[in-house]
Amino acid sequence: MAPLFEYDKNREAANAAKVRALEALLIKKGVLGSDSVDAVLNHFETIAGPFNGARIVARAWVNPAYKQRLLDDTPKAIAELQFPGMTGAEGEHMKAVANSEVVHNLIICTLCSCYPWPVLGLPPYWYKDPVFRSRGVREPHAVLREFGVPIPAEKEVKVWDSSAQIRWFVIPERPANSEHLDEAQLAALVTPEAMMGVALVPSPPAA
Amino acid sequence: MFTRFEEYAATQMLGYPDSPPRKEGRLFFNEEWQRTVFGMALALAKQGHFEWEDFRQNLICSIAAWEQEAGDGNTRWDYYERYTMALIAILEQCGILKPGELEQQMTPDRANR
Repeated sequence: MAPLFEYDKNREAANAAKVRALEALLIKKGVLGSDSVDAVLNHFETIAGPFNGARIVARAWVNPAYKQRLLDDTPKAIAELQFPGMTGAEGEHMKAVANSEVVHNLIICTLCSCYPWPVLGLPPYWYKDPVFRSRGVREPHAVLREFGVPIPAEKEVKVWDSSAQIRWFVIPERPANSEHLDEAQLAALVTPEAMMGVALVPSPPAA
Repeated sequence: MFTRFEEYAATQMLGYPDSPPRKEGRLFFNEEWQRTVFGMALALAKQGHFEWEDFRQNLICSIAAWEQEAGDGNTRWDYYERYTMALIAILEQCGILKPGELEQQMTPDRANR
């Protein structure tokens, strides 16, 4: 019996050839433009994605005044960064909350349509799981421990449920030993999970 | 609430059997052809050649067919292979492709004999 999920070079090559032929045929028919594929994927690869959120977080870490503006009026502060292709409408209803020494924030979401795409990208598989959502509300400390984020019992965990009205995201705590990093290097440390509150941003290797 | 077709289209799939592979908030492609076929279906639906939901139904059927076949252990799982089959199916349903036309494109010599 052949193992499932094993990488098969011949089959991979056959699939690649089929897709190339299909693309060529559709372009020949005038149905597909030669740049149509890049145009739609550009949205996921450069316009709306976790790279935006990471830049916002890094700016908040290096600039306390920006962080305050971000907490006070999130869409306006995001607009300051002038992300290419983000016209403003995508970012409306967004609200940032900041982790600190005394509070940790966790974002959950019943409907993935309420996920803050422009800053977090595509949600992970488990995010829509009703078990995650209900346990996140009921026992956030236990859920976070399972994610490898041990939050001391005395530290408050605030749980935010994203909705059509407000789409939340977390400004994680800046990791220790990151003083030598510039804003772009800091942004590279920030993951979507950290901006959902299910991960911490690890300290960079010592300089 | 979506201002962009791309977000609408991907969101419709999330939490359903046809949701695409992804990693750290981004679509995940092992190979260039996977990226190409994903983008083709999206671009064609965006241009109005077919409804995104109709494509998704083909994809869900194509995945269900694999689940039926996989019992024999000989058909390995490949999301974008199923995706390609679904795209070809809907292109035939809406008359953009004639049945067998793609095979002819791939083997022009044989077709001309």
